[in-house]
Amino acid sequence: MTKFLDVQNINAAYGDIQTLWDVSLQVNEGEIVALIGPNGAGKTTLMRLIAGLHRPLSGSVQLADVPLNTFPAYEIVEKGVVLVPEGRRLFGGMTVLENLELGAYSSRARDVRFKTLERVFELFPILAERQKQNANTMSGGQQQMLAIGRAMMGLPKLLMLDEPSLGLAPLIVENIFEIIKLMNDQGVTIFLVEQNARKALELADRAYILEQGRVVGTGTGRELLHNDEVRQAYLGFAPAAGK
Amino acid sequence: MTLSKTTSRFLSIAGMILFIVFAFYYPRYVDKQNVWNLFFLICLQITIGQSWNILGGFAGQTSLGHAAFFGIGALVTRTLWLDGQPFAIAFALGGLVAVTFGMLIGAPTFRLRGAYFAIGTLGVAEVLRITVSQKIPYISTMSGALIASYDLSARYHLALGLAIVTTGVAYLLLRSPWSLGIQAVREDEEAAQATGVHVLRHKLLALALSSFFTGLAGGVFAYQQISYYPSAPFSPIWTFDALLITFIGGQGTLIGPVIGAIFFVYVRDKLSVNLVDIHQVIFGVLFILIVLVFPGGLVEAWERLKKSLLNTKYTKVAKD
Amino acid sequence: MRIETFLQTLVFGLFTGGIYGVAAMGLALVFGVLKMLNIAHGELVMLGGYVSFWVFSAFGIDPFASLVIVIPALFIVGLALDRTVYRHIVRLLGEEKIKNSMLVSFGLTLVLQNLAQWLFTADERSIQVAYAGDGFNIYGVLLPYTRLATLGIALAAILALNYFLHKTYPGKAILATAEDFESAELAGINIHRVYMMTFALGASLAAIAGTFVTVTYGLSPSIGIIWTLKALIVIVLAGTGSILGAFPAGILLGVVEALSGTFIDPSYHEVVGLVIFILVLIVRPQGLFTRK
Repeated sequence: MTKFLDVQNINAAYGDIQTLWDVSLQVNEGEIVALIGPNGAGKTTLMRLIAGLHRPLSGSVQLADVPLNTFPAYEIVEKGVVLVPEGRRLFGGMTVLENLELGAYSSRARDVRFKTLERVFELFPILAERQKQNANTMSGGQQQMLAIGRAMMGLPKLLMLDEPSLGLAPLIVENIFEIIKLMNDQGVTIFLVEQNARKALELADRAYILEQGRVVGTGTGRELLHNDEVRQAYLGFAPAAGK
Repeated sequence: MTLSKTTSRFLSIAGMILFIVFAFYYPRYVDKQNVWNLFFLICLQITIGQSWNILGGFAGQTSLGHAAFFGIGALVTRTLWLDGQPFAIAFALGGLVAVTFGMLIGAPTFRLRGAYFAIGTLGVAEVLRITVSQKIPYISTMSGALIASYDLSARYHLALGLAIVTTGVAYLLLRSPWSLGIQAVREDEEAAQATGVHVLRHKLLALALSSFFTGLAGGVFAYQQISYYPSAPFSPIWTFDALLITFIGGQGTLIGPVIGAIFFVYVRDKLSVNLVDIHQVIFGVLFILIVLVFPGGLVEAWERLKKSLLNTKYTKVAKD
Repeated sequence: MRIETFLQTLVFGLFTGGIYGVAAMGLALVFGVLKMLNIAHGELVMLGGYVSFWVFSAFGIDPFASLVIVIPALFIVGLALDRTVYRHIVRLLGEEKIKNSMLVSFGLTLVLQNLAQWLFTADERSIQVAYAGDGFNIYGVLLPYTRLATLGIALAAILALNYFLHKTYPGKAILATAEDFESAELAGINIHRVYMMTFALGASLAAIAGTFVTVTYGLSPSIGIIWTLKALIVIVLAGTGSILGAFPAGILLGVVEALSGTFIDPSYHEVVGLVIFILVLIVRPQGLFTRK
């Protein structure tokens, strides 16, 4: 497996407060990698940094040996990294169709956008149904689908998702995760941040744990699912008797 | 070479006294009309600039309507004085009416944030200007008796005194218990509110002082000008000059408006002779550069220079 | 009160309002998308006016036809101003951005105004076309050709802008950037180019207004602040988030000014607009045409 996303020794700050300390991680091509950890650990900061919305103090981010962190966000999309931000962040005043179309604005995706649109509608039939509706009239789950659909329109090689299950009913979360798996099967590398650690670890090939801005652990999804500390901290298990 | 804190403070005070003595005696010594006028203008602009600075620099409320206070002060003072009242009363009332007006519009307009406050105040000032120019369109002139007894040095000393008092009040304000609150409002209004600072009260205090002294400056103007259109002191030019002076000098600092006023009046005087209004272009470019690159104005530039030359620990009175 | 006087006043209010609307839309566009307050907008109107005046006096080209030259000229000026000055401000956020853009554009007004004065002198200029006084006369109401052309072109401009923003791909990218610039970036939209183009577009709209001003009123280097204030009044009336609402708000202002000028007091029609402006700012800052 080839190293695809390579994050090396990233230090980042929010104003005067440092938020990420010496963070390194890798995502290989074709993998699903999850990033779990408590609230405020810096997961979103890292995501935004990789996507180009935030600049690191030091360190590097590379995609297949192409440095990313010196480029603005819209050029990073051009290189194939697309982020589905936390909280969906759709263009509420515009229709579903317009939101999807705008997702293909980069030159790489623009020419084939009508074909991509068909694929998105196949994957998310509800979006095809409601394409003339305004984005802010849709339910949470539908909005999340639209957000993912919009990201897909950008023809991502690496798709990043920040808290896709946030605020959604369990059934919808199932649906979303199925779709993420499907996209991965079709060749999209996935890097996701999730509060719902169980679902994330079940889905992921590998995972990293971020606490207070530092990477404190890594392993395969299965390994971490069965790790006692992880189970206690993130999966809601009580400590075993006698420990 | 490093100077101790007491030494540098001693030098500052000595410098100030020297400066005031110079300002007092030099025009008298030279006794040329244009020198009197130049120095007068500098003192007037120092007052207006320092007043604006109290509201805009210390409290961070950018007002684009300061000409309103200048105009009101001028209008009240001139009207009462030409009507026969003793000048001192007319002068004081000019300032008081200006403050009253400031307080009246302050309460509702302070609800507006940043830019909206700025354009709102501009709107108010323009309403006043247009109303005055419609209601009192004829020129205001001094009577023959007043012209005969006209003493330019008295006017100048009044302007100088006002400039010194305004700067002194600004200084005292910075040393006062309100200083921290006012600057907190400038930095982050919501955070200040959250830490218990009564935001509106601090804003009103800054506005009160600012409008009072600008009003008095208007009174000085009315005292000095032999004839002018009553709507002239309401012109936005007065506000814009105050902005230029304060920013070029260094907004939020005590000495900024002083340096700015001297620079502004002097440069304008020198360049007006040669090229038509090229000084405005220079000021405009300088202003843009200051906003983009050198927010501290000439004061900041001077300090950076001093630091690299003398390696002195200079304690800025205001921003720390 | 004669019905003709009322209609005439109304009609002239419409004509004036059309100019206000076009002038304001440029500012509304810049404020809505770049989130910056350009108080030098009035200077752009003035410069547009001067270009049309120059083209008219040097080549005899009809001012309405000269828009073909005036619009691209100010478009380029807009690009230049964005590249040199405003792009440094655009990366700030929120209130700091608005305040700094206001300050920077204040400096720009000094530069532009005096540059114009140096190039064109402080004399008042105007364009007198051959058909200046002519027009339709319908039931005693005068409809001058020049004014009709002004309103017609203004309407055409807003319809074109509306189509561009809502029906074309780049236009939608501009609206998306206005709504959420980070999401726009994440969608691959080059927001720096959007900002530059939008600013230039705003300058072009100012140019159109400037041409109208030269034909209707007359031009001098100092009219900048008057038009900036007018544009500000209109966008506050419309609500600062509303780009296209600026046009109807402009019409409204024109009509209100005209009616108050005729039926209350001609010397105060300037003040009426300002007073409404201040009241709206204080009482209903979100404007009259937005829903909140």
